[in-house]
Amino acid sequence: MQKGFVRNIKPLEILSDEQIQAIHSNTLRILQTTGIRFESDKILNFFKKNDCNVDFNNHIVKFPPYIVEDCIKKCPSSFTMKARNPKNTLIIGGNTQYFSDMPGNWTIDLDTWETRPATKKENKEAVIILDALENFHIFCAYTPYFEVEGITPEMAIPESYAAKIRNSTKVSWEGSQKECEIFIIEMAKATEQDVMGVGLPSAPLTYYEDACNSLIRYIKADFPVNIACGVMMGGTSPASIAGSLVSFNAEVLGGVILAQLQHPGAKIAVEDSVLPMDMKTGHPVFGDITTALHITAFAQIYRKYEIPTFADSGWTNSKKIDFQDGYERAMAALLIAISGINVNNLYGGVYGELVYHPIQSILDDDIAGMIGRYIEGINIDYDSIASDLIALTGPIPGSFLATTHTRNYFRKERFFPKASDNITYPEWIKMGKKDCIALASERMKQIIESHIPEPLPDDQEKEIENILVKARKHYMNI
Amino acid sequence: MVSSGADPLLAASTLTDAIRQVGDAFGEGDLFLPDLVCASEVLKKAFPIINEAIEKNGKKQTSLAKIVIGTVFGDIHSIGKGMVATLLYAAGFKVIDLGVNVKSEDFLKAIKDENAEVLAMSALLTTTAMEQKKVIDGLKEVGIRDRIKIIVGGSPITQEFADTIGADGYGATAPEGVKVVKRLLGLGG
Repeated sequence: MQKGFVRNIKPLEILSDEQIQAIHSNTLRILQTTGIRFESDKILNFFKKNDCNVDFNNHIVKFPPYIVEDCIKKCPSSFTMKARNPKNTLIIGGNTQYFSDMPGNWTIDLDTWETRPATKKENKEAVIILDALENFHIFCAYTPYFEVEGITPEMAIPESYAAKIRNSTKVSWEGSQKECEIFIIEMAKATEQDVMGVGLPSAPLTYYEDACNSLIRYIKADFPVNIACGVMMGGTSPASIAGSLVSFNAEVLGGVILAQLQHPGAKIAVEDSVLPMDMKTGHPVFGDITTALHITAFAQIYRKYEIPTFADSGWTNSKKIDFQDGYERAMAALLIAISGINVNNLYGGVYGELVYHPIQSILDDDIAGMIGRYIEGINIDYDSIASDLIALTGPIPGSFLATTHTRNYFRKERFFPKASDNITYPEWIKMGKKDCIALASERMKQIIESHIPEPLPDDQEKEIENILVKARKHYMNI
Repeated sequence: MVSSGADPLLAASTLTDAIRQVGDAFGEGDLFLPDLVCASEVLKKAFPIINEAIEKNGKKQTSLAKIVIGTVFGDIHSIGKGMVATLLYAAGFKVIDLGVNVKSEDFLKAIKDENAEVLAMSALLTTTAMEQKKVIDGLKEVGIRDRIKIIVGGSPITQEFADTIGADGYGATAPEGVKVVKRLLGLGG
């Protein structure tokens, strides 16, 4: 099993119990009195049969609080995601933190900073790099690249999942569009691994039929589902963080209820993808500190609900891999981690969801390692507290350098970044004054030359190709 | 005011001046989208009453041009499209908003019925972006492509894409969309 990083520090808590209760009670109020719009007669009938109040004319379902609270309780507090190599199997929930990546529509040229669609080869290499990076645990939907040269938009998700299966033994959660989950589920089953699906609400307070169908198909296949809600504060939710938490919570709980009424005990995670709206252009603002506040509160509420959580850190407003990109993503990733979120979507994304680059993912592996080390906290016991050693060594000229204790501890207490510039000034001059991007480029080259992902067995490879052929035919005919 | 006897033409010009000032302040960076949208909402509520009063007096209120707008078939994203519609309205255009998930034939019908001069289409998904081309091709088939200006927008849309599918203009943001429409119609912008 992939242990990820076990948080051994108290999670950051910014809300009082009364404040959590206020968010929860107002969420119940919205679910009971305003309700959620479900654009599907099948789903409306289903809710009617399950004692919810359904307005068929306006496609609104109103949920009695007892149903909401009962469905929250039915969610498992953690669940396993089986990988095709058991060493990469995950248990999502509790105090474990895993790292994931962020999608980018296109790649970017590191000299001109111009964007363009990635090639199939670049997409494959980006996957291989993520397979090699040791602090990366689970692929995010629509990643690494969403648009790849020579692949039709309808085939983007099936082809993307196939590339991940073929070039990595790490698990994925996958997106949905035009019922492509049918092919994703088949591919996961053919390779004897779990895949996480999505049920995406559309803010405010709406689920369209495709989103419901996707959620139900994954649950029926006994796969977990991530109910991920992208919200723009001031646009699709109130501009206030508290108000946005209430509308976001009502939206995602609509999906949680659908899942638990369909299949009590369904494996559910919830993802907070909330961003403020830029009030000049209407575009989302990435890398904004408001998002981190929203996520910290969300993490605290969902720890109470005992439902596993995801959140995004790797989308910044910088168009380059630069200082702003570094501070925005590192702050977000650290705050998400100490808030106790279970899956931290960090790797590879540069600007918003527009750009991905493997160099960024290599730099992020260091950020993840540093953060992971931090949340693992301080081990305090007889040996680590070392008071006998301190007493024995005494004041100057005493030194700890030549002790077994130092040899035992210095490696495990520190995290050693692989791409960061960690050398002394004279060494740096001698080595050609390389910065972290140059060092990450060298690591990328070395990974591509040396890392060979575990191949699929022949029969599974054949099966994946058959499923892709079927999917291509399906989308050509519609 | 109008119902208590105020001159409807004066009310219309006062409101138009006010929205122009709001628009200018937005351009200067002193006001923001919520200010602009709220001001437009006031106009939306006031103008039907004012227009009715103007028509009662036997006169006619004019608009800059008629614009049909909507999010293409298969796509239910409404915020960006709604913002462009509101800003176009505030700029003095008559806007016929067809909503979201609009089929190609519904765009065509609205353009013909309303005799629109501009078509504005939004798509937020890579899978629905090509629907914009379908609508443009449909207009070509029925022979009315050349009498209408077409602008496109949405997250996956770029100037290059707009050129490829044969649109006349592209705006990356809602305010830019309004500028593009004005430019295409020779109204400045």
